[in-house]
Amino acid sequence: MFAIETQELTRTFGERVAVDKLTLQIPVGHVFGFLGPNGAGKTTTVRMLAGLIAPSSGKAHVAGCEIGPQSDSVRRIVGLLTETPGLYDKLTAQQNLVFFGQMYDLTRTKAEQQAQAYLRLLGLWERRDDTVGGFSKGMRQKLAIARALLHDPQVVFLDEPTSGLDPEAARTVRDSVRALRDEGRTVFLTTHNLNEVEELCDLVGVFRSRLVALGTPDQLRSRLFGSGTIIRMASAATAWIETARSLAFVRSVVANENTLTVALDDPESQNPELVRALAVAGAPIRYVEQQAHSLEEVYLELVGSQEEQPR
Amino acid sequence: MKILAILWKEWLELRRERSLLISLFLPPLLLTLMPIGIMIALRDAPDDDTSKLGIVLADPTLAGMNTADLGQAVMGKQFSLLMLLTPVLLSGIIAAYSIVGEKTGRTLEPLLATPIKTWELLLAKCLTALIPAVGTAWVSAAIFAIGVGSVANSPQVAEAVLNPAWTTVLIFCSPSLALIAIAMCVAISSRVNDPRTAQQITAVAIIPLMAIFFAQMAGALVLNVPLALGAAIVLALIAAGSLWAAVQLFQREAILTRWR
Repeated sequence: MFAIETQELTRTFGERVAVDKLTLQIPVGHVFGFLGPNGAGKTTTVRMLAGLIAPSSGKAHVAGCEIGPQSDSVRRIVGLLTETPGLYDKLTAQQNLVFFGQMYDLTRTKAEQQAQAYLRLLGLWERRDDTVGGFSKGMRQKLAIARALLHDPQVVFLDEPTSGLDPEAARTVRDSVRALRDEGRTVFLTTHNLNEVEELCDLVGVFRSRLVALGTPDQLRSRLFGSGTIIRMASAATAWIETARSLAFVRSVVANENTLTVALDDPESQNPELVRALAVAGAPIRYVEQQAHSLEEVYLELVGSQEEQPR
Repeated sequence: MKILAILWKEWLELRRERSLLISLFLPPLLLTLMPIGIMIALRDAPDDDTSKLGIVLADPTLAGMNTADLGQAVMGKQFSLLMLLTPVLLSGIIAAYSIVGEKTGRTLEPLLATPIKTWELLLAKCLTALIPAVGTAWVSAAIFAIGVGSVANSPQVAEAVLNPAWTTVLIFCSPSLALIAIAMCVAISSRVNDPRTAQQITAVAIIPLMAIFFAQMAGALVLNVPLALGAAIVLALIAAGSLWAAVQLFQREAILTRWR
């Protein structure tokens, strides 16, 4: 069951193709990280999926509703945190939330209950009767997040949710995203914070007008840099290169001082045999670690390779 | 439900916008009090021969009045027409702030992301502008009528100023004029980023009123009930057409993607 499913979704503005044949499937209850440089078409994609603008061609279903013909229904079941908080400065925090709750078809009583719950959750309860014009950027962002969640949407689009937040508030937001996933909701997270993606996302899409790569963070790493195991020895590692190479499944071995880096297709199943062989040969193994490439390296590699190609 | 929620929200915002409130309600206050003051000043005007004045010849309700009465009646009648500007001016100002304000405050996208329908949003915005504008106009007119009744030299003066044609125009024409101004404002606001631009262009809606004002001043036109009712029907049709056009021009997608 997919919360979001697109087929060759395309949006053009005149001659410019903002979103080019995006085909994507995001399972229910997943946190999807949508990465891409500024101007890549991420906001246009989100606007289409949130039922704000129509696609030029292609199809998309969000929580079972087709965007375009059923955009009204789509807007009812999704929550959207826009690039800018977009709050009414002259209204209090509570008034803002109650108003938007009513726009999402909540009764006034229900809207007030939900507003209270989210103001407490995001630490704004004490400021509920203050006008938003006097709020800091972080407080506005938290209030905008509360607005996006107020009507308990099945799918939530969050555009840079922790931008401008202090570490504590950012942590609260990340915890909220996890809580949403635990409740079975789907989160479509647009962000430039790659640590956040690493921490939260089950699935990542790198986008630059078209989908450059899609997979879990580990799959993207593996696809780009391969999988590998780092073995740290008590003495020079060069002595054990041949032992490692003698194993049929080892793709390559590199020794650097006391460290042996072994490229493998499936480290999880092949590591025990590799370690056993080295230990039997007498290698003084201190640590065995997974070779880790940061998501930032993956992202830069993917986006960089796109820049080199004519678009 | 949503429409009421928007009206409530707009009222909360308007209540906290003091400078806008002053600029909204000062002109109607002046238009209401000034003629009463002038009529008081004209109470004891020296008598003269006014029987050959064009305005007297054109308007039979002014026939036989002495100079003081005539001065009061003419002043009262001109200002009573100017008072009809109130709903047009107020609705233009409120509508411009209400719609362009959503854009400049960057609240339009979150609002359009809700399941609100375009007609619900625009109806709420129209009512937001229409209710205070027409309400203020009618309250001002009531104060004006009480004032005229109190300071008029004779019942004939009061009857000449507060005639049925004026009441008909006030009740039936001014809401339509306000709606035309709002519709223009909605249409223009869809394409501009500055409330002042929308207001200035919306001011075109007062031209028909000013034409009537000057025609009456020159004695070329005397408002009567059939004319006022005819104008009310024509204006209602124009208002309906303008609102329909405004809804067509208000394309959510274009506004989101083109407004920068």
